[in-house]
Amino acid sequence: MTRYILKRLVFAVVTLFVIITVVFFLLRLAPGGPFDGERRLPPEIEANLKAAYNLDAPLFLQYGRFMVNLVQGDLGPSFTQKDFDVNALIRAGLPVSLRLGLGALVCALLLGLSIGIVAGLKPGGLLDTLLMAVSNLNIAVPTIVAAPLMVLLFSVTLSWFPGGGADTWWHFVLPALALGLPLSAEIARIMRGGIAETNLEPFVKTAKAKGLKSPRIVFRHLLPAASIPLLSFLGPAMAGLLTGSVVAEQIFDLPGIGRYYVQGALNRDYTLVMGVTIVYSFAILSFNLLVDVAYGLIDPRIRIAQT
Amino acid sequence: MSQTLLSKWTRPALAGLLGLLLLSSFLLPYTVTADEGVLTIGNAGEPQTLDPHRYNLRLEETLLNDLFLGLTTFNAAGEIVPGAAQSWQTSEDGLTWTFKLRDNLKWSDGQPLTANDFVYASQRLQNPATAASLAYFMYMVKNAPEVNRGELPVSALGVSAPDAQTFVIELSQPYPYLLERLLYPTAFPVPEHVIETHGDNWVKPANWVSNGAYTLADWQPQAFVAMQANPHFYESVSIANVRYLPVVNEQSAYNRFRNNELHVIGSFPVGELARVKANYPDELHLSDLLSMMYLVFNTEKAPFNDTRVRQALSLAIDQDILTDKVLRSGNKPAYSFVPDLIADYQTTPLLHIGKARAERLQQARELLASAGYNNSNPLKITLRHVSGVEGKKVNLAITGMWRQIGVVANLQQAELRNHFADLRQGDFDVAWAGWVGENNAEHYLTLLQSDIGNVNYGRFADARFDDMIKTAQQLSSAKQRNQQLAAAEAYVVDAYAVVPLYTVSVRRLVSQKISGWQNNLRDVHQIRYLSWSD
Repeated sequence: MTRYILKRLVFAVVTLFVIITVVFFLLRLAPGGPFDGERRLPPEIEANLKAAYNLDAPLFLQYGRFMVNLVQGDLGPSFTQKDFDVNALIRAGLPVSLRLGLGALVCALLLGLSIGIVAGLKPGGLLDTLLMAVSNLNIAVPTIVAAPLMVLLFSVTLSWFPGGGADTWWHFVLPALALGLPLSAEIARIMRGGIAETNLEPFVKTAKAKGLKSPRIVFRHLLPAASIPLLSFLGPAMAGLLTGSVVAEQIFDLPGIGRYYVQGALNRDYTLVMGVTIVYSFAILSFNLLVDVAYGLIDPRIRIAQT
Repeated sequence: MSQTLLSKWTRPALAGLLGLLLLSSFLLPYTVTADEGVLTIGNAGEPQTLDPHRYNLRLEETLLNDLFLGLTTFNAAGEIVPGAAQSWQTSEDGLTWTFKLRDNLKWSDGQPLTANDFVYASQRLQNPATAASLAYFMYMVKNAPEVNRGELPVSALGVSAPDAQTFVIELSQPYPYLLERLLYPTAFPVPEHVIETHGDNWVKPANWVSNGAYTLADWQPQAFVAMQANPHFYESVSIANVRYLPVVNEQSAYNRFRNNELHVIGSFPVGELARVKANYPDELHLSDLLSMMYLVFNTEKAPFNDTRVRQALSLAIDQDILTDKVLRSGNKPAYSFVPDLIADYQTTPLLHIGKARAERLQQARELLASAGYNNSNPLKITLRHVSGVEGKKVNLAITGMWRQIGVVANLQQAELRNHFADLRQGDFDVAWAGWVGENNAEHYLTLLQSDIGNVNYGRFADARFDDMIKTAQQLSSAKQRNQQLAAAEAYVVDAYAVVPLYTVSVRRLVSQKISGWQNNLRDVHQIRYLSWSD
């Protein structure tokens, strides 16, 4: 088992290295540079700027310097956010993105689990049909459409929630909902299947025959058994929430790293984009690693097949 | 089997999840919502720096105008008035400007502010190590380009402080528009005593010292910049606390204004204009901005090196249709490359303005025919523009107008940075461009100078025009200089290097809780001129 985990770990590190290298050189291929602004940039001034940010060195040297600093945990100065370095920007932005991601996960779980359970107990019933229709809508309508509609309804018209910003918990309700809804639908579908299937198992029949009350059957017997497929789904889904927050952060003016990612790419802020790429890659690789390890622990066949 | 697995895995997983949630509530810092006493303004984006010498963007100027005070400044109507200087005089030859500072000027930490601070600031701007992207704004100062290129020491720069209250600027050639140029943050003083102690970290809120009506209280990246009144400013202000929020998206700005989260926004979606006029007539501030949106021809590339082709394409474009029928957002049609909003200046409109459309189209077809283009051999071109609703609308309409003279135009759009990067490299046929300039014609006309560099996107070159501009630049009287510039514009108008389209109209919304707001051509609004409506 240790060998299996080590192997996955090495593989993750290599993947991260490849991503960093490819993104580093891809970024330099985009036309324009970090110092192009709204105004004229005379050559002597561009030279001063390039010297100040070490961009006048040959590309492979810049790459070497970046990697050496990276190993020491220094992502370098931001080329466009001149008053901050990338580490400081990520320190400021990551908590916001995490809060959004966790909020969305909670929304998705609460909604998805309840819909899934209720629908799965009587598959084919009226409630099931209704709830699944709502769920399908949640999957079909992407965040980029749902979020502005929610702002229009809950902020502009009803004035229940703020339309943007991240000052309080209140500010996170709408973005977390917008981001969590599609995920809740997927969770609902998985749960519904699990519940419906488990409901036919002999041990559930036994429980019913013993005269156990419905809630106890659901929470004690049905729910745990039905949530196994959900666990393997949640790993990648959590990574998806973090990266999916890019859209929600744009629409709700949330100061998270997703917003840096977009702004950084548009502004050719090489170091900032690198920094966020590394955080995202790290998150995705970690979640995948966790799932891989969990699979290995749960199912011996995977362990044997892959070592 | 499943029974054992779930007790093994679900519980730790659920516990972990709960733990993460709890942890997050400790991890994440909280700030209080902006309360009634804080003026909250939606700015067009996140400032890249608050160092006045390293700034580049207009949205940064907005903040810097509240934080610092230059020798000259704006009043509420956007006119140039004395700032840190109370008076000034110019030498006969226009080369030496002497500024007398106000009495008892202080930095926000209470330290006295003297003429030496202006000397230090001027030298820091041109010091190559500062890497100031707009250092060339002050290249008219004697030896400035040489200092900025590292060829001369900063001490060689033409600035001096004969005494604590007198600041002298020497120029390499006359520049009558200097008072206007001093409005830009590049000419703002910076606190030497703080920069020497903290280095690049002087811009952090904890170290911040400035001389404007406000000081920097806090800056949370991508969330807000908070300012509070500077107790050492020479005048008291009505609004003590301000927050600028980066709101890039116009729709978001509009939503948050309607939800009373923002007191002022810089823009809202153009499609909402009719509704805003109906629902927010008192909050709406539509005003002309000193600016020029234009098409530029790549004059180095055939067939756009042929004046006949450029003239034909220009003839077919109807500016009034673009503003009144297509955009309908209050933009003013532009008939000359220099905006007619500029003071004390006579523009030269395109020669065909006022002619009937049919006549113009006929002339355009004849010109194209003489250049060798007709129905069997139509002129095919690519029109490049910046992606976005406005760019798409305008340029689509223009291709339609060209179709009327048999020209087949394809649209190619790119994101802002790609667009202008390609323009600078001359990688285009015809392209949409824009310029937000100063209140003088020189700032526009020099874009057509052959040696201005790559902002002359079309690589237009005309020796006589260059000479006329250079002659103008020797004149120290603004009046004579404007006349000479007007002559240069009149001379170059039939070269059709560019097609002026329209000047931008700013669509702002200002809450009725705020009074003192005045529309102006530069769209500058210092907070110290505003007050709560009680």
